[in-house]
Amino acid sequence: MLILPRLVLAAGVLIWTTQPVKAGAQERNSAVAALAVRLASIPAVTGYEQGMVDTILRLLPAAARDRAGNARLQLGGGSAKRLLVCPLDEPGYVVGNLRQDGYLTLRRVPGRVSRLFDQQIEGQRVTIQGTRGPIPGVVAVRSIHLTRGRAALSDTPFTVDDAYVDVGAGSSAEAVELGLRVLAPVTLAKRPHRYGDDLLAAPVAGRRTACAALLVAVEQSRLRAKLLPPVTVAFATEQGLSERGLATLAKADGPFEETLIIDGRPGPLGSLLQGPDADTASRWSGLGRVERWSLPVRYSGTMVETASMEDADRLRDALIKWIGGDE
Amino acid sequence: MDRWGRVRSFPVLLLLLSPVTVLHAQSPPRADGGRQARVSEVERVLRPLVESYGVSGMEGPVRATVERLLPRGLGRQTDSAGNLWVTLGRGEPTVVFIAHLDEIGFKITGIRADGSLDLSAAGGLFPSLWEAKPALIHTGRTMVPGVFMPRDSAAVENPQRTPPDLRADVGTTSRESTAALGIRVGNTLTMPKAFVRLAGTRATARSFDDRVGSAAQVLAVRRLDPARLRHTVIFVWSVREEIGLEGAQAVANALGLRPARVHAIDTFVSADSPLEPQNFALAPLGHGAVARALDNSSVTPPAYVDSLVALARARGIPLQVGTTNGGNDGSVFAAYGVPDVPIGWPLRYSHSPAETIDLRDVASLADLIQAVAERW
Repeated sequence: MLILPRLVLAAGVLIWTTQPVKAGAQERNSAVAALAVRLASIPAVTGYEQGMVDTILRLLPAAARDRAGNARLQLGGGSAKRLLVCPLDEPGYVVGNLRQDGYLTLRRVPGRVSRLFDQQIEGQRVTIQGTRGPIPGVVAVRSIHLTRGRAALSDTPFTVDDAYVDVGAGSSAEAVELGLRVLAPVTLAKRPHRYGDDLLAAPVAGRRTACAALLVAVEQSRLRAKLLPPVTVAFATEQGLSERGLATLAKADGPFEETLIIDGRPGPLGSLLQGPDADTASRWSGLGRVERWSLPVRYSGTMVETASMEDADRLRDALIKWIGGDE
Repeated sequence: MDRWGRVRSFPVLLLLLSPVTVLHAQSPPRADGGRQARVSEVERVLRPLVESYGVSGMEGPVRATVERLLPRGLGRQTDSAGNLWVTLGRGEPTVVFIAHLDEIGFKITGIRADGSLDLSAAGGLFPSLWEAKPALIHTGRTMVPGVFMPRDSAAVENPQRTPPDLRADVGTTSRESTAALGIRVGNTLTMPKAFVRLAGTRATARSFDDRVGSAAQVLAVRRLDPARLRHTVIFVWSVREEIGLEGAQAVANALGLRPARVHAIDTFVSADSPLEPQNFALAPLGHGAVARALDNSSVTPPAYVDSLVALARARGIPLQVGTTNGGNDGSVFAAYGVPDVPIGWPLRYSHSPAETIDLRDVASLADLIQAVAERW
């Protein structure tokens, strides 16, 4: 079975199951859009991306996991001098402690986030990756009724140290019985949300959509693989912490003459953001000349980070050209 | 015997007649097969109610769901305020149960030139829980997806928890294109929601307040045999509770002096959480329904509380007694001298997207409503 039908079928099933309502406007439903919704529904906390990598490997059976946990494959014959990378990870949390009363406390994984990042989980549903599969929970919040007639609450932002996760357990033993452990990854419950004519809102929507565009571009390029100049394609881990995935590619598979990194970045919707990335090139010399192409996103770093599916199709087309050596 | 005398003697009579003498409030019931079936029945009624949307003033979809869940052939009426009525039994005294259909949310107060929406809250809520979340606009004809716009936190030196006035983005760029989606000033907004089971018999969703009360009334009506009722029992699913008990006021005005008692079936906001001071309102989840004996709107006469406890004890129904904050629909009957005996169930994290309950408590609430209708 060709992989593109596999991508479209898998993504189509998921987009059908995750759409809560009918949109008021006509949605753009390309293969990239459907796949972006699927990837946006999968957690991949920095350092804990392997569930996402498993999905990538199922969608691209020719790919393999490398020593850093990246999913990588080579297109075209010969020694690859070009590298094309999409990072997979996202900021998030792990379980820091299991309290005697059954509540969980959290620790945010290292990496840069906005000052209001933690506040987004207060009073919301989260998903904990337990040893037996995903476990739903909620982050506790004061009941507004019980604040009446009492001293005003502090208006300082909610932080991770204020987070108590309620999974319905009445004791730490019950939480353990559910498959919960210290270090279990935790994210907001993923609910990719389509709105407008062609917009997708989700945590790290830009990055997930860029990776979806790359998956479709790779699959479409494979149809003429023997004619392609060699290129290494990778879905990289731990970009938000130490760039471990990217650095390992540079050292283990390089040196490359040219590297293209695709991602999401704040900017006006409607055109790709393209430019050199001298900082990354100087950090990891094995990458050669580094270029960065970014999908513009609105509301960056929030639960409703928004990417345009029209931009995503534009990125897919540009990537197909780049892979083919046409750009 | 006057009314108070009858009330005072009622618990003693029940205790004498009942083989059950232990109050179950302190120990959760065992999760045996029958209990599991009951929890499943609760979920089948509660899930579609929670997954219907109805900000105050636009409760139509929720009312339609209640009507669909009620027994076929059962007479029901919708009054001019939008309240749904079901009247069972005949003769006096008349007893009223009332649960509200509406949920908190937002109303659109303006559409800006860039197509975004200005909002005002409908009901008490923390705006920070809605910032940067998916949104749904309810036009009355369809639901249009959008997002609650986040502030630009990078541009603020020391951001506070509470955001500036919330706005919504529906993916348009002009007032005209927003209007073309059917969106108008006065439409309501919520965020998408789903009924989700947690561990054991716990569940989470937004708007358990007061879909649980609505569900408990449906469950009770399903089990009641109208032919065996000894007096008139009126069930009301009311509108616009969250913005000032407006639907209940219309019901109270319509009934006047006729009711002997009113039972608001509404949330008992519980302090059963590590974040709450536990000076009061500590009704643990899973320990049964709660007699909401004192809140910000009413005080239940103590003899009535005693009667309710005795009835629960006689039927083996778990019941807790407590005091919490908030108002209830039954309180507007006070002007007609009608005693308000509100009954609730413990809820954590009230008016948030993470409201959490124990489904066994809903079953006990429904059982208690049935018992009150049949025996009191």
